[in-house]
Amino acid sequence: MIALSVAAVLAVFLLYTSLAGGGTPSVSPSELATKTGEVALAGRVVGTPTGDPHGAGMRFVLVDIHQPGHRVTVLYTGSVPDMFRRGRDLVVTGTQRADGVFVSKPGTMITKCPSKYQAADTPA
Amino acid sequence: MAEFGRAALLLTFGLAAYALVGGGYAAWRGRRRLAHSARNALIASFFSTLVAALVLVAGFLRDDFSLAYVAGHSSRALPTPYKLSAFWGGQEGSLLLWLLVLTGYSALAVWLARKRARDLVVWVTPVLAGIALGFTWLLVAVSSPFDVIAAPADGSGLNPSLQNPYMVVHPVALYLGYVGLAVPFAFAMGALLSGRTDERWIVATRRWTIVAWTALGIGQLLGAHWAYVEVGWGGYYAWDPVENAALMPWLAATAFLHSVMIQEKRGMLRVWNVTLVSLAFCLSLFGTFLTRSGVVTSIHSFTKSSIGPWFLGFIVVAVVFAVGMIWLRLPQLRTTAKLESLVSREAAFLYNNLLLVALCLTILWGTAWPMVSEAVRGETMVVGRPYFDFFLRIFGLPLLLLMGIGPLVAWRRASLRGLTRTFAWPAAVALATGVVLIALGAGSSTPGLVAYTFSAFVLATIVHEFARGTSARRALTGEPVPTAFGRLIGRNRRRYGGYVVHASIVLLAIGIAGSSAYDSVTEGRLTRGQSLSVGGYTLTYRSLGEREAANATEVRALLDVRRGGKDLGTIQAGKNAYSVEQQVSNEVGIRTDYLTGEDLFVIAEQVDDNGAVFFRIFVKPLVNLIWLAGLVFLLGSVITLWPDAREERRLATREARAGARSDTPATT
Repeated sequence: MIALSVAAVLAVFLLYTSLAGGGTPSVSPSELATKTGEVALAGRVVGTPTGDPHGAGMRFVLVDIHQPGHRVTVLYTGSVPDMFRRGRDLVVTGTQRADGVFVSKPGTMITKCPSKYQAADTPA
Repeated sequence: MAEFGRAALLLTFGLAAYALVGGGYAAWRGRRRLAHSARNALIASFFSTLVAALVLVAGFLRDDFSLAYVAGHSSRALPTPYKLSAFWGGQEGSLLLWLLVLTGYSALAVWLARKRARDLVVWVTPVLAGIALGFTWLLVAVSSPFDVIAAPADGSGLNPSLQNPYMVVHPVALYLGYVGLAVPFAFAMGALLSGRTDERWIVATRRWTIVAWTALGIGQLLGAHWAYVEVGWGGYYAWDPVENAALMPWLAATAFLHSVMIQEKRGMLRVWNVTLVSLAFCLSLFGTFLTRSGVVTSIHSFTKSSIGPWFLGFIVVAVVFAVGMIWLRLPQLRTTAKLESLVSREAAFLYNNLLLVALCLTILWGTAWPMVSEAVRGETMVVGRPYFDFFLRIFGLPLLLLMGIGPLVAWRRASLRGLTRTFAWPAAVALATGVVLIALGAGSSTPGLVAYTFSAFVLATIVHEFARGTSARRALTGEPVPTAFGRLIGRNRRRYGGYVVHASIVLLAIGIAGSSAYDSVTEGRLTRGQSLSVGGYTLTYRSLGEREAANATEVRALLDVRRGGKDLGTIQAGKNAYSVEQQVSNEVGIRTDYLTGEDLFVIAEQVDDNGAVFFRIFVKPLVNLIWLAGLVFLLGSVITLWPDAREERRLATREARAGARSDTPATT
């Protein structure tokens, strides 16, 4: 009885994962070059953003959190969370264009809230 | 001051170590006086932890910035209530709160159970002491709230997003829930250790489980309301790992609350129940780990965090211990009672359990997937909202339907004729609701329509149950309706409180379905005088104002709201720019229609220099039922928990019977 139900649940699960794939790869700017297609790009905001996220798009630069040498320009459209500003860590989903600019899917920016994701030795 | 706090924590450490080692030895060798003393040490550890907590509170109130923790999470200008809540604004204080709640619960639990379940408490003491010891170790050796620095002139302040009333109450409610699950876990392990695998540990901890489960549920709803009103992105739940962290143990505890009834009534599912309670407790440890170790951002930041590896080790120990104990006692846990029919109360509860656990585990998988894939494939994969929404529908909707069926099906074996009689009119109500809803155009979303129809079914069964009980009582006693109704609930608090909780879950389901399946949204850039229309409302942007408040510049756009030619007044939305913290926050405008439970939700996404504003406007039907559900949920829990002399006697006989029925205690 229980075994049957567990099997049924597993079947539903496998059905879903085979239909939808195993999710979106999450990469840092230093790993971006090795990936094609849609990815979730995680990095830290540097410099001053320019442009209109509700018009032609906002441009800003993300650097690798662990290897600050790597940077990528992001062209973002859609809602900008409150927490967005220089120095924040965030994730944005999209694809890299041939000219190296990372173009977001609209409204995919998620900022990581430092108070909740605190790691003891890295000050927020 | 700091030395005093540190000394109090060291004392807690010593007391917990003594209660673990001494209590364990006493239980093993049957030394009654030593067991007594270990129990008292566990109770005393609450008071020493309380002293440590008070030292930290005093540090905050006196602006003692020589304490690194106070300097890092407070400032002179911080209002007093937030100085108190800054206590749990960071990692060290949160751990101390965890330990305080744990030792408090432990002391109360072993004290209350000292007479009735004496031979159980002997074994419960070392288990609780072991958990307390782990947390005290973190506080003493790894992440101390009493580290001292050269006092700066002022502290660096509390994160603005934590400076609101929700963040004062929400973490405390969550911790009361998370930590409360340690008590039923410890009693279950105590029962396994002592070899007395009867139902007494369940009877002794029933209230504890409900208290913890209620606190966890309310804590989550507070968090959701905070996200909705304060964070201002237009939703209340985002399947964020820290949100899932609280949802998973709640789901496991919900499954546990239901399956223990089967064990109480029929003596079945013993292995399953100890497994569930272990799962719930380990998930609550995992939840604390998720929010506190930095593992969510990346495994890299996890290995840099000081408490992460300790915590992971702690979880592994808990899992191995629980699995080992269940394995060891498997022969005693086997039961003779078998499921007699697939159509019975037992079977319905079993389906409910499987669905809840399946939902819980798929959420766990989705939450842990980035870490698992990074560890296994060296590539971090994330699953998003579609994954979680899919499983919420696949497992959640049948669960909703079962909530109507389960409580009305007969024990052991239900007859087809009985089923038809019981469910004829709830099914008719559900069908009629479905037809009316399709006529009204609710067919635009199939999951939404299904959710509404199922909700109607469940509500009909609940109303039916209350009506039937009241009229049966009237026929018996001749009381007037209100008296009969009141006494019906008063004499069967567990049952009717449970129905009230079920009603709250239905409200929750209707609210979620309404606001997610039938919401409408529009966005656009408006200059003064321009309008946007959405969901029957027309909003016209009138003016923009700016105001200097004490700590922020407040910008507000004013809009006129009309619906169907009727003037509904104005609504404001804007942004606050906090000067000191250099942070901007959305201040959304919400207009609630209390008659229909609908919200008009306006976000001023961007204010241009020329005065044009980019608006994002939602209409969320029935969303307020979610918050109403919280109140009804609390009411149902309180009804269930309310002390009742009759219930106490019933429990006492049940406990005695369970004790008599149990096998002779196995020797270890």
